[in-house]
Amino acid sequence: MHLTLLRAVPLVLASTVPLLAHHSVPVNFDQSREITIRGVITEIRWINPHSRFRLDVKQEDGSVLEWLVEMGAINTMQRAGFQTERFAVGDPVTIVGNPGRRDRVVLLRTAVLQDGTKLSP
Amino acid sequence: MNDSSERRGTTGAVLTFLLVCASPALAQRPDLSGHWILNGGTTTFGEWIFTDEGRRRYDAYDFKTDDPSLRCIGASWTRVWLNPNVLVQITQADDHVRLRYEWMDLDRRIPLIQPGAGDPPRGSNPGHPALGRYAAWYDGDALVIETIDATDGYVSTMDKWAGLPQSRRMRTVERLTRAGDLLTIEITHVDPAMYRRPLVVTITYPRSKFELMEYNCSPDDAAVVAPR
Repeated sequence: MHLTLLRAVPLVLASTVPLLAHHSVPVNFDQSREITIRGVITEIRWINPHSRFRLDVKQEDGSVLEWLVEMGAINTMQRAGFQTERFAVGDPVTIVGNPGRRDRVVLLRTAVLQDGTKLSP
Repeated sequence: MNDSSERRGTTGAVLTFLLVCASPALAQRPDLSGHWILNGGTTTFGEWIFTDEGRRRYDAYDFKTDDPSLRCIGASWTRVWLNPNVLVQITQADDHVRLRYEWMDLDRRIPLIQPGAGDPPRGSNPGHPALGRYAAWYDGDALVIETIDATDGYVSTMDKWAGLPQSRRMRTVERLTRAGDLLTIEITHVDPAMYRRPLVVTITYPRSKFELMEYNCSPDDAAVVAPR
């Protein structure tokens, strides 16, 4: 499986993002920062309370680390018209989001697909 | 108008009058029915003053392990109301009010009682012991829901209020009122084991055009998951 280089880029972000469901976003994620990671999707779970991807992310030294990409409830994303069918295991994707307070976890704000399409839940 | 239609009109008016007199609750109760959602509303927590035990519980709270919702279990009714993005559907009947929360598929059928009655029938949600036993009545333009017999839990696991505790001694009173398309829920927590004075939380819910969906929470899905 081809893996794409990761670069985690902390950015300062003014947060006006509302709470998501279940475990509290402000408790679990640092909404004052934004990071970007790029990897390959290895698992997709469209579920409540939080949908999620697992992402294989290649490091600069060639090793691979798994990241967890959390999202909102599938009910909420369906109501918002989020195009879940655009994602498949094996797809490369760039994730822009808020870093978790747990290691290698990110809250999805924008996903950039291989063709450049940007999707936000 | 002829005699026949006059008689029908008079009969209808009398029946309406009798119905209203016989069912004061029907005549006075506010119409809270419909679908409501937290998004777009506001949340306000009043000041809280911990007891020593309340402070100890709050300081010991660990969001990675202590949130009952990680096991698909409600932590308190306030916590349930605080969940954004999901709906609450309210229906009103003569002998009960039903609140269906999309979050965790909680179905809350609340018996209507006379306030102050000795040991009224109360509803509960098996599997959610921190949500206690509840009954309700109408008070003017408000629906009042009283909950007792909750187990230890958390008033909130959300945002900056995460870890505010509740004990078995807590009595919770929710007052639901409606102004147009805005539902207001004022929740008073009286818990002398955790707080030196009542903690009041006010949450507003705009009306929603969406319909309830199934939530189907599974503890395996709800648990905190770590990267491998």
